[in-house]
This record gives sequence, structure tokens and C-alpha cells, in this order.
Amino acid sequence: MGGYGDVQCIDENGIRLDGRTKDEVRPVHIETGVVPVADGSARMTWGLNDVIAAVYGPMEAHPRKIQRQDRAVLDVRYNMAPFSTTDRIRPGFNRRSREISKVTAEALESVVLTELYPRSKIRVEIEIICAEAGTRCAGITAASVALAHAGIPMTDMVVSVASGKVHDIVVCDLNKEEDNYGEADLPMGILPNSGEIVFLQMDGDLSPDQFQEAWDYNMEAANVIHAEMVRALKGGDE
Amino acid sequence: MAIPLVPKLLRAHLAELAAEDQRHDGRGRFAGRDVELELDCLPRAEGSARVRMGDTIVFAGVKFQIMTPYPDRPNQGGLMCSAEVRPVAGRNWEPGPPSPESIELGRVVDRGIRESGCINTEDLCLIPGEKAWQVILDLFAVSDDGNLFDAFALAGIAALKSATVPGERFGVGEDRPLGVAKTPVMCSYHKVGGRFVYDADKREELGGDERIHITLGDDDHVHSLQKGLKGIFTAAEFAEIMDEARSRCAELRDLIDEKLEGE
Repeated sequence: MGGYGDVQCIDENGIRLDGRTKDEVRPVHIETGVVPVADGSARMTWGLNDVIAAVYGPMEAHPRKIQRQDRAVLDVRYNMAPFSTTDRIRPGFNRRSREISKVTAEALESVVLTELYPRSKIRVEIEIICAEAGTRCAGITAASVALAHAGIPMTDMVVSVASGKVHDIVVCDLNKEEDNYGEADLPMGILPNSGEIVFLQMDGDLSPDQFQEAWDYNMEAANVIHAEMVRALKGGDE
Repeated sequence: MAIPLVPKLLRAHLAELAAEDQRHDGRGRFAGRDVELELDCLPRAEGSARVRMGDTIVFAGVKFQIMTPYPDRPNQGGLMCSAEVRPVAGRNWEPGPPSPESIELGRVVDRGIRESGCINTEDLCLIPGEKAWQVILDLFAVSDDGNLFDAFALAGIAALKSATVPGERFGVGEDRPLGVAKTPVMCSYHKVGGRFVYDADKREELGGDERIHITLGDDDHVHSLQKGLKGIFTAAEFAEIMDEARSRCAELRDLIDEKLEGE
């Protein structure tokens, strides 16, 4: 969180650059079955974010050293396509995508009933086709829908969303400018049915009151996004 | 790509169908799957396209960078084309550095576009010897149900033809269309059950033999050829598919022009 520059992310009437008020979520749309050759898949557009998640498996886990005798392992990969950002990204792994893959796997392993599939692996592929801010949240959310679409048993779906702070004002669901020029970012992974948390990160600067406000925004946004996830899984637009 | 075991049963089944001049999905020998082409679908790319052929789905995105011209061509910019097939596209595609299969894909598509001369690299020069545009075409597979070659080539040329040079963002003049003079199009034929078929799907690829990729330009000139995988073919077989390729490439070229006009 830099806090540098003089980009005005929110005007005197409390309207943000994309026209939202401080407690609104960007438009969300989810579609399932977008990777026909996969066992389950979902595409999520969230503001300008465009994310495709595909699930393969459960399948034999190899190399054998990654097998677990009592459960399945989740093999999660988060990746940004070279044309997904303003400046082209060179293909290949980097430290950022490794970390996001790791925390995403751990969030999803908290809800998938992995003990039903000992010694196997479930592949979860998250591809960011277009990025706006909050791609890790969109990735986790899309992956949850893809897992459900593949029929993998789970206790709940993870809904992930990030709120934060710009110009000392707490705002829900950060957009690109707010992410770049704002003062705090609080991404969370929420189980909407119980209100429990499986993913949490934060960077920046928040007072105790601001932290609570951002937390509450995330909880409210999770319900909005969860409704769209359920709608997509129940047969989409029909 | 991990090479899956090819069951003898699949090969035998495809051979039986071929003997009756049939295909497992009911298509004729030279009939392609339905083609969907969508332009400008990636807001962060300067040009983009999405192609769907049956259950094969790919994206192409064009990005620009400023480069120093090569010393032997001081008044020319550059074109770079790379193909990535990540494990999202199918259960046999593995993570890691680019596989030989995906490198071949990128290079064959690159040759067809480059050698057609559709992009005037001298137009891309900003200051001779110092500054020029590098055009980067990234091909990205989302779902591989066979014939990624044709899908990539179609998405690639469509993305280039709809691309805008981002002069303003880089502070080097105004935004302008890239200007792609020609429309090279690729058609691929796969030998399945002893005879060539057009637009093979994944099952036909797995149970087939060699493949041939043909890229033709507007005037039916040949711009790239590639024979892939193990197998032997005759001059007569090649003449037959070359004939087919001429009419099919023209159809696909019309599809691209139609979409660009609709912009």
C-alpha cells in the first residue's frame, strides 16, 4: 500500500471512480462448464476481472511422494495470462503466484472432504484472463464453484472478497485504483453458511474501528457473491 | 504433454469407421466443427480474440512493448508469437517449462503469420536504430479437444487484425490500428484410420498417425507447412488435402472479415 500520488479515488459525495458507493460490490457474473474437457469449471467476471477455474480429478496422485495415506491432496495453480494486465507478464512461475497458489490450496483444503479420497489428488487450475484487483479473491471464489460443479464433496463453498481503505475511508471490494493508491487491503475467505474464515491476509494500515468496518463489509459482500455462485450452479440464466 | 496410452481398441474403432468413410462424431472427412469467433474480449489486451471449435477453446491477446531494433535491421520493429498450453486445458497437459508440443504450436503459427508478410515491420519503427514497437502475440488454450493449431492460428490473426498500437500510453504519438495487410489462415489434416481428415478432435488425435498443417495467404500462396508425428504420406494424399485447404481457408478468411466489419 503506497498511499502515494494524488489520484482521487472517492469524491466529496462519496462516489468512487467506478460509480459505486463505499459499501457496494462490483458487478459479478458466474458461468459454469466453460472448460468442456474438465470435470468441473467456472468463469467469473467481477468488475474487469475475468477468471477461469477448472477442476480435474480426483485422480491418481503422482509422483508418489505427494500422496497422503488418509486423504486427497489439492494441487492448486494460480496463474496470470500474459495479456491479463496493462504491461505484459512473462509466462512462468513467480514468487507471487506461488504464494497465492499455496494460500488458495490451504483455504480450499479446509472445506473439501479430502478424507474421502485417500492417496489421490484433485487438480485445481486458476487462470486470470483479465485482471483488475482482487484476482486472488476471484480465483478462490471461481475455484469453489468449479469444485462444486465437478461434484467434489465440500462442507461449504469459500467466498473470497477484499475490502480496504482509501483517503482514510473504508470501502468495500477494492477496484484497481483503490488497490494501487489506497492505504489498506483486507482479503478474506468466508464460509457464508457459518460465517467462519478459511483465508485471511492483510497489508496496509487500519485502526481497530476501520478494521472492524472492513471485516463487516467483507461479510456482507460474501452474501451477495454467494447468491450469484448458487444461481450459476443451479442452472444459470434460465 | 504426457503421452497417454493409446488403446488398441480406439485405433481399431477409428479404422473400422474409416473403412466405411465415417467419423466417430458423424462428420464428413473434410467437415470442420462449428467455429465461433469473438473479437475484443480481453479489455487489458490491445487486440484480442476467442475461438471455439467444438470443445476446443482458445484466447489470443496482443500486447506491445518498446524495443531496441536489431543491429542488422535498424529500421524495423519485431513480432513475437508464443503459445502456452497450461494444465487448465486438459488432463494430459502438465505444469512446468513449455513442452516441445506447445513450442511447436507457437512456432508453426508464428511462421504462417510472419512469412505471409501481413505485418510491415518497417511501420513499427519509431526512431531508426533506437526505438521500435515489438508486437507480442500470446496464444492461450483454455480447453483442448484437438486441433489447437487451427484454433490458435485463427484467434492469432483475428487478434492482430483488431489490434490498436497504444501510442498514447507509451507517449510516442497517437493510438492507431496495427494495420495487418493480409489474412493467413491455417488448415490442419490428421491421418486417422489410414486417410486424412480435417479438424481432428482429441480422440482422433490420440488414435491417429501423422498430421499436416498448411497456412495459405489471401492469394492462395503457401506460407507455412509442417508435418508432425510419425507417419508416411504420398504426393497424391498431399495434393488432395492441399486442394481442400484452399476452399476451407477461404471460408475461414470470410469469417474473419465478416467479424471485423461488424466491429
